[in-house]
Amino acid sequence: MSTATIPQIPDEHDAQSRWAVETHGLTKRFGDNVAVNGVELLVPRGCAFGYLGPNGAGKTTLIRVLLGLTHADGGTMSLLGHPVPKHRDVALARVGAIVDEPRFHAHLTGRQNLQILAAAREPAARDRIAPSLERVGMSHRADDRVSKYSMGMRQRLGVAACLLGDPQLLILDEPMNGLDPAGMREMRDMILSLVAEGRTVVLSSHLLDEVERTCDAVAIVDQGRIIRQGPIAELLAGASVVVQVECSDPHRACALIERVAIGAHLDVGTEGLAITLPSGTARDVIAEIARVLVEGGISVYRLQPIQTSLESWFLQVTSRLGASE
Amino acid sequence: MTTAPDLTTPPPSGAALVDGAGDGRGSWMPTLPMIATRFMELRKRRGLMIALVGVTIGIPTLFLVIRLLLHAFAPNTYGPAGGYDIFTALVAGVLYVFGFIVAATLGCTAGSVDLTDGMFRHLVVTGRSRLALYLARIPAGLAIIVPLVAIGFTIVCGVCAFAAPTTLTYQGVKVPAGLSRTGLEHWAADHVEAVVCNFPPTGPNFQVTVVCPNGGPVINGGPASGTPGQVPPRSNKAQAVQIADQYYSDYSTHFLSPPTSLMVEAGLWIELEAVVGFIVGLGLASLLGQRTIAVVMMIVLEIILTPIFARARIPHFSNLQRAVVGLATAHLEPKALPLAIGGARGVDLLPESTTVAVCVIVAWLVGWTVVGAWRMMNRDA
Repeated sequence: MSTATIPQIPDEHDAQSRWAVETHGLTKRFGDNVAVNGVELLVPRGCAFGYLGPNGAGKTTLIRVLLGLTHADGGTMSLLGHPVPKHRDVALARVGAIVDEPRFHAHLTGRQNLQILAAAREPAARDRIAPSLERVGMSHRADDRVSKYSMGMRQRLGVAACLLGDPQLLILDEPMNGLDPAGMREMRDMILSLVAEGRTVVLSSHLLDEVERTCDAVAIVDQGRIIRQGPIAELLAGASVVVQVECSDPHRACALIERVAIGAHLDVGTEGLAITLPSGTARDVIAEIARVLVEGGISVYRLQPIQTSLESWFLQVTSRLGASE
Repeated sequence: MTTAPDLTTPPPSGAALVDGAGDGRGSWMPTLPMIATRFMELRKRRGLMIALVGVTIGIPTLFLVIRLLLHAFAPNTYGPAGGYDIFTALVAGVLYVFGFIVAATLGCTAGSVDLTDGMFRHLVVTGRSRLALYLARIPAGLAIIVPLVAIGFTIVCGVCAFAAPTTLTYQGVKVPAGLSRTGLEHWAADHVEAVVCNFPPTGPNFQVTVVCPNGGPVINGGPASGTPGQVPPRSNKAQAVQIADQYYSDYSTHFLSPPTSLMVEAGLWIELEAVVGFIVGLGLASLLGQRTIAVVMMIVLEIILTPIFARARIPHFSNLQRAVVGLATAHLEPKALPLAIGGARGVDLLPESTTVAVCVIVAWLVGWTVVGAWRMMNRDA
């Protein structure tokens, strides 16, 4: 198995790179299966970045490659400006990560598990054990054995383990797994607070609603490839817009709008007429729809453009990919 | 979740990151805290520790306590709890085999639990050298098994030394222990009948006749030269001295209690066996990535394969047989002990020089460490 090639030794400029994570042509194969297929990923510093994809898309594999848990078969990558795996020790010194389900020595307490992990880091990490436990709300159970922890408590302990290194970059793989709604909200708040401190959080998740609430930018991965990435607002701006129309005669309204060449997809349902406009449609088109309906004698009770959610956009993007194949 | 002030400070700059690498994180050398926490992780495994203590300390202690009680309540029926013979039997029969097995079990545990418990990936993500993570397990594990074996061995030594018989029974005769050659000859001169009746001489030049305690005349070494009961005193005494001289070499290997030199040698040998068991178990479990099969393989090696390879003469494979670590350690066994892997000492053990034995042991220690470390450095976490 070949490892990722590293183009150069990092200098101070690299360490100040604006990218927290940078990969070029990153590839990982398992036999004939290409789990990570030439991934070009740029994660800016100081933001919450969502890494989305359906099951089996290669999300966790990419994270494992980035963290040196498994070798890459090709491409280059860097964390916080430091190329890995060549300068892995320097890069990971300020990286915290949860990969897959957080598991620990079940016969030890949470605090003892953190002591083991802190011992592998710099001496100052030992002083961060108590604050880390406090921050994730585990102080009161820190001296209980992990075998008595719930899944959510293990998730919190995993986050506490991430914080031991005072990380600039946190990579969290499905951190909401096992958390109840209150726990998910606390986790979201904590991620936002970490970002507010200037840290970068990469959040791999299939909970699109949580990602939309938490992250500033996302990348969509499918079949090992990144198919979209960028700030959420920009990505959604390029998505189609649905205009929901509640009127006196939806079927006649549908017929009237069909005569107007606006390239819309029309659908009459129980809630009225849904008009799906292609991405990039000007706001004037919505005014034109209103004008056509009123001039046609239709009583319009409500005409509401509905912002595309990340979830619906994600489904559009991934289904489009699937359709193209 | 509440916010702790210590972690709300802005993250370090890039320059600080470079400083962060100055903690030797990429070094292969494990730090003391790494070793200490690894020690803690193993020590906190309650079931494992109970098993280790039970086997290394509990079994010999229980055996000796039973002997002490039996001797205390029925001294005429049961001999003293300790003594030289008990010591050699316990060391070669119990501590050697069980010490190896428990050390191997600990090694297999240390080599596999990070993987099976899911902690390995947490440790790898710290950026710490995987080699250092592996090497930290060695002193941590040895810090457990070496003292345990030492405690068990010390108990055996203590009981065998302080609860030893007060008189030495040699050839069925109570003989003072620890006599020099001259001392034994003097004792023989004073106990002609005991010597002649119980110490069969070798060689044709003995013409001694005495009446032994069983009542019948006994002729040793040739035809009787006189009437029973009319033995020339000076002649018999001289020949008893000569018989004692013949027996001195064998007599000198019999002690009431184990000599200090033997206890030191045996202790070091037992510890060597435990270290070998731990290191090999650690490497094997790291290679396999799990504990159970590794432990079974180690037991099979020690209990089945080693005795077979130590005795069997397989054509063209004798050098391969000599590469078995159990055979090598058996060759380093103190000569005063019975053969640890069974059988009479020196009778059927495949010959091997001490130099080769030492080389084999070193090769096993280094080889399995390299194999285990290599696997941990290349394994997907």
